[in-house]
Amino acid sequence: MSTIHPRRRRAFALVGAFAAATLVLGACTNGSDDGDTSSAIGKSNTDNDKSGKKVVIGFSAPAADHGWMGSITKSAVAQAKKYDDIELKVAEGTNDVNLQISQVETFINDKVDAIVLLPFDGAAMTAVARKAMDAGIVVINVDREFDSPFAARTTVLGDNYGMGVSAGTYVCDQAKGDKNKVVAEIAGIDSLPLTQDRSKGFADALKKCGLKVNNRVAAEFTVESGEKAASNLLQAAPKIDYLWNHDDDQGVGVLAAIKNANRDEFVMIGGAGSANVMRDIKADNTVLKATVIYPSTQAADGIKLARLLVQGKSMSDLAEIEVPREVKLSAPVVTKDNVDTYLPSAFES
Amino acid sequence: MSDPAAPLLEMRGIVKQFPGVRALDGVDLTVRAGEVHCLLGQNGAGKSTLIKVLAGAHDVDEGTILWEGEPISFADPLAAIATGVATIYQELDLIDGLSVADNIFLGHELARGGITRDSDMNKRARQLLARLGHPEIRPTREVGSLSAAGKQIVSMARALSHDARVIVMDEPSAVLDPDEVDGLFQVVDDLRASGTAIIYISHRLEEIRRIGDRLTVLKDGRTVATDLPAKETSTADLVQLMTGRTVSSVFPRRTTELPDAAPLLTVDGISRDREFHDVSFAVRPGEIVGIAGLVGAGRSEIIETIYGARRATRGSVTVEGKRLRNGSVDAAVAAGVGLCPEERKSQGLVLDDAVYRNISLASLERFSRYGITTEAAERRAARQVATSVDIRPDAPDRIVRTLSGGNQQKVVLARWLLRSCKVLLLDEPTRGVDVGARAEIYTLIRELADSGVALVIVSSDIDEVLGLSDRVLVVADGHVVHEGPSDAIDASGVLDRILATHDDQQMIQGDGDAA
Amino acid sequence: MSTVQQEESTEVTKTRGDSGGSLGVVRNLGLVIALVILCVVGVMTSGDQFASKDNVITILRLASVVGVVSIGMTFVITGGGIDLSVGAILALSSVWATTTGTQSMADDYGWIVMVLSALLVGTACGLINGIVIAYGKVVPFIATLAMLASARGLAEIIADRKTQIIRNQGFTDFFGAEPLGIPVIVIMFALVVVGGWFLLNRTTFGRRTFAVGGNPEAARLAGIKVQRHTVYLYALAGLTCGIAAVMLMSRTTTGSSTHGTLLELDAIAAVVIGGTLLSGGRGTVVGTLFGVLIFTTLTNVFTLNNLSTSSQNVAKGVIIVVAVLLQQRIANRKT
Repeated sequence: MSTIHPRRRRAFALVGAFAAATLVLGACTNGSDDGDTSSAIGKSNTDNDKSGKKVVIGFSAPAADHGWMGSITKSAVAQAKKYDDIELKVAEGTNDVNLQISQVETFINDKVDAIVLLPFDGAAMTAVARKAMDAGIVVINVDREFDSPFAARTTVLGDNYGMGVSAGTYVCDQAKGDKNKVVAEIAGIDSLPLTQDRSKGFADALKKCGLKVNNRVAAEFTVESGEKAASNLLQAAPKIDYLWNHDDDQGVGVLAAIKNANRDEFVMIGGAGSANVMRDIKADNTVLKATVIYPSTQAADGIKLARLLVQGKSMSDLAEIEVPREVKLSAPVVTKDNVDTYLPSAFES
Repeated sequence: MSDPAAPLLEMRGIVKQFPGVRALDGVDLTVRAGEVHCLLGQNGAGKSTLIKVLAGAHDVDEGTILWEGEPISFADPLAAIATGVATIYQELDLIDGLSVADNIFLGHELARGGITRDSDMNKRARQLLARLGHPEIRPTREVGSLSAAGKQIVSMARALSHDARVIVMDEPSAVLDPDEVDGLFQVVDDLRASGTAIIYISHRLEEIRRIGDRLTVLKDGRTVATDLPAKETSTADLVQLMTGRTVSSVFPRRTTELPDAAPLLTVDGISRDREFHDVSFAVRPGEIVGIAGLVGAGRSEIIETIYGARRATRGSVTVEGKRLRNGSVDAAVAAGVGLCPEERKSQGLVLDDAVYRNISLASLERFSRYGITTEAAERRAARQVATSVDIRPDAPDRIVRTLSGGNQQKVVLARWLLRSCKVLLLDEPTRGVDVGARAEIYTLIRELADSGVALVIVSSDIDEVLGLSDRVLVVADGHVVHEGPSDAIDASGVLDRILATHDDQQMIQGDGDAA
Repeated sequence: MSTVQQEESTEVTKTRGDSGGSLGVVRNLGLVIALVILCVVGVMTSGDQFASKDNVITILRLASVVGVVSIGMTFVITGGGIDLSVGAILALSSVWATTTGTQSMADDYGWIVMVLSALLVGTACGLINGIVIAYGKVVPFIATLAMLASARGLAEIIADRKTQIIRNQGFTDFFGAEPLGIPVIVIMFALVVVGGWFLLNRTTFGRRTFAVGGNPEAARLAGIKVQRHTVYLYALAGLTCGIAAVMLMSRTTTGSSTHGTLLELDAIAAVVIGGTLLSGGRGTVVGTLFGVLIFTTLTNVFTLNNLSTSSQNVAKGVIIVVAVLLQQRIANRKT
């Protein structure tokens, strides 16, 4: 069993001391931790998974106000439970950098062996991450990069540019050389570097087959904003052939807008890879024909790498002795043909 | 020091206009150093407004103020204080959360470089309080914990702390007992001797005779007489000046014979612990019963209990032979009882709502079906009543807050008229109402009675109670000490009945004119 | 008989401020007990981990940013107002102080330029709040709500929604230092608390703040310039936002338009459970300090015990309601 449990029990006592209401909520939260994603995490066939030296890992991520972000924490916790030599301390979700810094400071005080950190703001968390590194703690940076190479031992990243390339390449394949196809794009928060990277990858890939983005709007990763942006886009573009939506969470709103407008003349490609989008693709009864994965298992990978690093092991399928400095995850396209491979690891939005 | 005979402060033709009311309409006042100048006037005569003008709290619309012969303007309270005018209000200028010393020195704290010198302030405050004969009030005590009289003393200490040359005292004796009034007059004498001018506002003629040098009478925002000798002017003359008519002509007398009918309202032995005991009386249709007594005697408590706003511990209230459920306003209203509360603004009116909506408030079910009101019918009915009680201006959409006190009172009366209630309880119906409107309200009350409504009237103004009612109940310390026809007793008789139960002669005429 | 002497006496210092006395002690005692209970729970569940010096410093560092803002908020609320814009002002100050322009000036004239610009921007926003409220006669809730929206919007425009990294080593070194083992920002917090206490309880400014909040009309009649004083109060709150911005800049080595999100709620909660009346007229800096410490210790205990922020928020809500209920009880017993 996981070593998290005795602490949980004490925690329950603590909650009770504050308010009965808290207890109920705490129980709900904890109960849902070992959710559906646990089955998705595969095991490698080496002795790396054998129990070793005990590793204490601190984990901190932004508030789970988005399906993808919720899945990050869930899959990290699920991953940690698979190893009886990991004790995971979860300082759960906050969008307050002041508080997240304090969480990391607490991990430093606790002298944890490693910290897996998905910062709310990479730059703002750099200083405290460096402090942790200076204190001899292995820091794994997930998804949002620090602005100093000294602040993390290893960084696990999704491939935002790659997402755009994958989506663009899929569109080119479908267009089969027809240069008159109309392409639309619904981006995420426009000022974020990740959105800019995705759009650039998309545009670069389209250029190779002579297409371009004809209509582009930006939403804000929420269902509400997706509905709003898509309604406007559909008004602006009477005929579309391909629509790429950056994010499947906002995609729920996008699909609602498409349904309201009674439009079905185009093929829609999603982004990030939520489970309900993959089920739609499998069912093949909507405009949604494909999605591009942005893995929500990054933090789970971070947990695995942290354990390897603390135990002094190397990645089994690399000749290299040390764990790499940076791991960039691939951004595959999911279609009806391969959806069964990815559906088990997809996140519920 | 300037020539003592020359005026220190002179006000000429002061006019102050508020929305809907001309509060000051040509006030002249001349005050000399070393005199106690009394200011007389009824409620709504403009005394309070004049005080605010002197304190720099209101700017004037017209007129000039001269200080030692030089024109001056009191743009803000600081300017007035800096010039040398200090004002003692009735409580409203104190901060409950601050200490006595903090309040005395508020705005002119003893401080060095912005850092307060608390021990110096406490010491000075102690001296000032001792001078006022109240060394027992500790400067560190919180003002909110003081009684009304204690607060008055603090206000006075503050005025003294300014070393003012003119001190305005707004009914300073209203909350004081006789010993304290003696102490106050001692202080006033000392101040006069030291050359300070006092503007003393009161409606108690005996005080004015005792302490005043000269007096000025205000009526309806105008000076109707000035520089009268305080000690020699006769009471009859003063009443004539203040009211513009003789006392007896103010109240409309009963014109019809009181019908000999069964009582509409019967109050049978109601009591409330520590408030009032065993009160019984009956009111026939068309009859007016007055309740006279001092503040705190339990007058308001009695009628609020009849109305069901308070729960009686014993006794019963019956309307038309039907006993009302104890402590239920709903039951009282359903049986046709209406109340015009004492605190008109906080208890009686939705100040920021329109006149017609205030009038229809108690009769909404008449204009609504399934909870949806029909605005047009509501308006029409409200308008009719508003016209019948002559609310001015005649604008049903006007916000109640902007009306004068008298017209606000008419709105409350109109509400119960519209509901055509059978029993009407009036608590201080003319508080804060100016003289002209007062007479109109008296007439309205008379008309209501003549139409068969049973009325119960509570007032601090004994003349008012006696003048309006057919029968009077005198209440003291929660007990009914006298009941009888109003024309069989006069004001001094009522006072005698009250004082017979009071060893200490507290307030002679209550707090009625506080507004 | 004299009516003056009848009533039981109440020393003003006991209820108004921080100078001790029975009522004040009772109320502060409640806060102390709450804090002690939290600490006992912390020690019981996390033992040495909780009681260590490092952890105490961690709590204090976390408390510093919200603490400084709460002191400013104490003044505004005591003066009868409310300021919803503190978090947004903090964000704008942090962004303004870390633009490339400011930073290059800082390279030439020293990092003090960044500090000064943060303080100036904060104070200026507070001044605007105060002027709109005092002279424009806009309700504080609405005026500061407008400031909340526009200050954060302006911060986003200036920063282009990007996080601005502080390159000035002098700045990070100075504010990141720990003389005698105490972080500079904790020392700053302590100074603000002491200064705030002194200003509220020992100066004419403080005395007038109580008056303005307790009864503005009476304050006006006493010759206090109520409008100007109101402006000062909001400017003071703005200044504390500027100070907090500098502290958060040093903690994150960045300026960002997302800094200080929802900070206003934490600050108001801390002030209210500290015993300052939301309706004005009574306020206590020491109470606010306890309020801040209670909330940050709570957060720390929950973090140490792997508990989610969601359950933590429920506990926070319960504490606020219980504290306010207690406060009303005490107020009722007084009258």
